[in-house]
Amino acid sequence: MTDIHTFAGAYALHAIDRPERARFERHLAECPSCAAEVAEITDTMAALSDATAEAPPARLRAAVLARSAATPQVERSVSRLRIRLPAVRWQRLAAAAAAVVALGGAGVAGYETANDSALVDDTRVSAENKQIAAVLAAPDARLHSVRAAGGGQVTVVSSHSLNEAVAVLGKLPSPGAKHAYQLWVISDGTPRNAGVLAAGSTGATELVSGIHGAQLIGITREPAGGSRTPTQPLVARVSLT
Amino acid sequence: MKRVAAGDQSAFATLYDAIAPRAYGLIRRITRDPALAEEVTQDALVEVWRTASRFDAERGSAVGWILSIAHHRAVDRVRAEQAAADRERRTGTVSVPFDEVIAEVTARLEHQAVRRCLRALTSIQREAILLAYYGGLTYRDVAERLGAALPTVKTRMRDGLIRLRDCLGVTLG
Repeated sequence: MTDIHTFAGAYALHAIDRPERARFERHLAECPSCAAEVAEITDTMAALSDATAEAPPARLRAAVLARSAATPQVERSVSRLRIRLPAVRWQRLAAAAAAVVALGGAGVAGYETANDSALVDDTRVSAENKQIAAVLAAPDARLHSVRAAGGGQVTVVSSHSLNEAVAVLGKLPSPGAKHAYQLWVISDGTPRNAGVLAAGSTGATELVSGIHGAQLIGITREPAGGSRTPTQPLVARVSLT
Repeated sequence: MKRVAAGDQSAFATLYDAIAPRAYGLIRRITRDPALAEEVTQDALVEVWRTASRFDAERGSAVGWILSIAHHRAVDRVRAEQAAADRERRTGTVSVPFDEVIAEVTARLEHQAVRRCLRALTSIQREAILLAYYGGLTYRDVAERLGAALPTVKTRMRDGLIRLRDCLGVTLG
């Protein structure tokens, strides 16, 4: 019998072939102690690197900096988050997000709904909270999280089967009293309005319906009440794929 | 790293200055060719820039993460070159002077603690680790080279690494 744990050392040294590597990575996702062991070995080998340090040719610096300036950075990927978050933590995250929703009903109600009576609004909010909980609990729920330009975080949990997503906007820079953040569902470069936060609001949890065929959820800062199409550059773009 | 992940070019320049000699030195030990090392170092450090958002401080140090990327790139490249050379020669013989590299590396280990900790390993542990890490060999190649059984090499490699870790006092957090 092959005990997969014993691959930890060879894996950390990149001394296993691709199929074994893939197999061990699947195991890593479920084995926090293995992940810790790999990280510690990686750091151990890094401790040896002082011994072999050597000044590279001076031209390398300019080459690396020039190429990096022309290279777009990746967003934190879903698979990476899945690896980081074992099932228990994933559920806790969903529960935490649900708690945010429950506490911050005002965030959900942050749409401009001047004509709604309080009763209708409450009913709608409650229905939306149920939908949000359903998205968070969906078996095919996927999570993407990005840092917004200027600070704050936008996290999107999407479910293809429900054709819905939940966007959690947190700690964004203040848009100013006369401006608001607006969400867009972007399909093949065409944005569709997906909700406007209250003027001045820096965070909210929004239910976004109709994500089939869309690649991105984008956020812009717009005049209070929102715009028909984005008038400002995206402050955050979150992949749905 | 957070600033780099947020797209801060000047933070990346600072990171370059801090890490490039260690990355280049490691890659050069593995590729044994300065021009190739330069190319691989460039690829590896641009990869660091590109994927900086995936660095997770809970899973080890930034230096460890960066050097792991550098190491992976270097061994992939060496294996690709070796496979190409083997195809050309159709001999399948491995004729690269790994021993020289290992001798050089151990001779240069000025850090007393590192040298003492490596010495504390059994010879098979030490050779398995150094052949894999600096020679770019898979544990299968290491087993063949040392004339040892596959599971033995795999477990000795791991045991040696754990001893090395404990000896150097590397822990997370």
